[in-house]
Amino acid sequence: MNVLEIRNLTKKFGDFIAVDRISLQVKEGEIFGFLGANGAGKSTTINMIAGLLRSNGGTIEILGKNIMKNKRFAKMNLGIVPQDLAIYEDLTAFENVRFFAGLYGLRGSELDAKTREALAFVGLGDHHKSTPDKFSGGMKRRLNIACAIAHQPKLIIMDEPTVGIDPQSRNYILNSVRKLNEMGCTIIYTSHYMEEVEEICTNIAIIDHGKIIAEGTKEQLKSIITDKKEVRIEVKTDAADAAEIRKIKGVETVSVHESTIRIQSDASINNLNLILEFLISRHIEIKALQEKEPNLETVFLTLTGRNLRD
Amino acid sequence: MSSILHILKKEVITAFRNKRTIIFMLAFPLVLMLVLGSALSNAFDKTVSVGEIHVLYKSSLDKNAAPYFHTFQQYAEKSDIHFEKAGKNTDGLKEVKLGNADGYAVVNGRGIRLYTNGRNSIKGSILEGVFSAFTDQYNLAAEVMKTAPEKAGAAFGKVKNNYIQTESLLPKKQPGSMDYYAIVITTMICLYASLGSSTLIAGERIRKTADRLIAAPVRKSSIFIGKLFADVFVYALCIALLIVVSKVVYKANWGDHLPLVCLLLLTEIIFSVSIGIGVSMFSKSAGARAILNIFIQLASFFGGAYFKIEHAGKLQALLNLSPLTWINQAIMKIIYNNDLSAAIPVAAANLCIALLILLISVTALQKREGL
Repeated sequence: MNVLEIRNLTKKFGDFIAVDRISLQVKEGEIFGFLGANGAGKSTTINMIAGLLRSNGGTIEILGKNIMKNKRFAKMNLGIVPQDLAIYEDLTAFENVRFFAGLYGLRGSELDAKTREALAFVGLGDHHKSTPDKFSGGMKRRLNIACAIAHQPKLIIMDEPTVGIDPQSRNYILNSVRKLNEMGCTIIYTSHYMEEVEEICTNIAIIDHGKIIAEGTKEQLKSIITDKKEVRIEVKTDAADAAEIRKIKGVETVSVHESTIRIQSDASINNLNLILEFLISRHIEIKALQEKEPNLETVFLTLTGRNLRD
Repeated sequence: MSSILHILKKEVITAFRNKRTIIFMLAFPLVLMLVLGSALSNAFDKTVSVGEIHVLYKSSLDKNAAPYFHTFQQYAEKSDIHFEKAGKNTDGLKEVKLGNADGYAVVNGRGIRLYTNGRNSIKGSILEGVFSAFTDQYNLAAEVMKTAPEKAGAAFGKVKNNYIQTESLLPKKQPGSMDYYAIVITTMICLYASLGSSTLIAGERIRKTADRLIAAPVRKSSIFIGKLFADVFVYALCIALLIVVSKVVYKANWGDHLPLVCLLLLTEIIFSVSIGIGVSMFSKSAGARAILNIFIQLASFFGGAYFKIEHAGKLQALLNLSPLTWINQAIMKIIYNNDLSAAIPVAAANLCIALLILLISVTALQKREGL
């Protein structure tokens, strides 16, 4: 069963088409990765699903019901974890979760019980009386999640839930996402950290310039670029000229980030010697060299021509 | 309805946890009342002599009613209110305008029409009070005549003895500096409520909680109403506390009709909150605050919140534009002239303007994507 089904969804801002007739389905029980660089149309799509923006065309169905015709039903079954912390600094953790859960019609002892449950789930049970200003970044992120799950939605959209936090908190959140999924929640997950998406997502869609350019499992996406190979070279200086390297036979994309050069080439052409010769001829000292298996980041770079963090 | 109450409750909690609300709505005005009330007490010397009051009048009363007006004049004379019958060709209004007379009364069977010069509000207020007392008691006597003519003598006798003792004639009923500043600072603080209300909706956008509110199954109008009522409730509570403290601690005179004064202040709070919301709907947060700050400062200055302004001459029109002038004058009339009807036009204006702004704001909010 599809928890979310989008058909020909379009959003325009003036003449600019932010989302261009996209269609996708998210099945029950999935952790669905939704990837796109800044300005690709990812947030606009999420905002339309959440009812924050009106579409200019197409339909969105949650649990088989059109969200425009069944707004309350759609909203009751949806939980949003926004990228920006959306909590009240003047309210305690308990009051924050209780307030947002109360907007979903919960009242009295049921509201209190579900609030406590959500706080315990994100590991803030012992901090329920504290205000967020006393929380670390990771704790605030977890409170941000608790506010979205207390009413126990069927579909949860998590927009960059781990941005700007320490590795320990990140692991906690990723485990929470898995646990929520095991408990029956379907999750749409966006992140700039490709390794997170690769680790937890079962299905992934990539959006670029308002269009879905690829969709499938990790393996399916990686298979798109089996005709590519990637080599990463650590050099001592940052003097490498990407434009010059791109002229080497078989090289398709080059990115230089500080002392790391990432070169993607046609898998059928053996050009490693040519690349090394070029670097030596430019007196660029090589510290390390690694041939990389294609991963999601390679897929993204190949398909969009830019890094996810661009 | 329960969503509105849920939102209202949260707004009230956050408002009272915000130290700025307490400082700005309670501590600041109480200090200001104390400082201005003490420092400028000389400007409110209660022994100031009003001098003689000259009233021109035209009377076309019949022979039954004329004696009572004549008696009234005699008693008024004892308080230095002198009546002079206007000649056939005398333009009474012009005489008042020119300051040759302090009041012009047209008396006939339908009632009394009194014209006073706004440039001398004390004399004008005294006349309004005296005439109001006379007409009230004359009406009472007239009613007695209709229903129990045998008791008319007693009723008129009461008129004869009491109508001149209107409260406005008693020197101790004039506002002292603390009385004055308790009123004008309170009304000014009511107007400052607009600053807080300017962040009512915009604050959710700034805190990024707006998306979460919109994503929840709650109508925008419920969010709006919940927040609006909460703000009005919070500020009303602050103003009530301000009145109690100024009355108990500073012994400020809030008159004998405090519930009416409170109701009038409530309409001003509603007016201010709606102004705040309205401005924030159509300008960005910083711009809204700047607009409101300028508006409040001008309204406070021209409304007499810092210094009592009298005889403003050509500036009178500006004074009359300030909503604080309206409400301050109305409250003074209620407290010192027992003129309860003064509340009606101000309350009506406050509520009509508020309603208009709120309707426009709600319509704009419904059309807008997000909050």
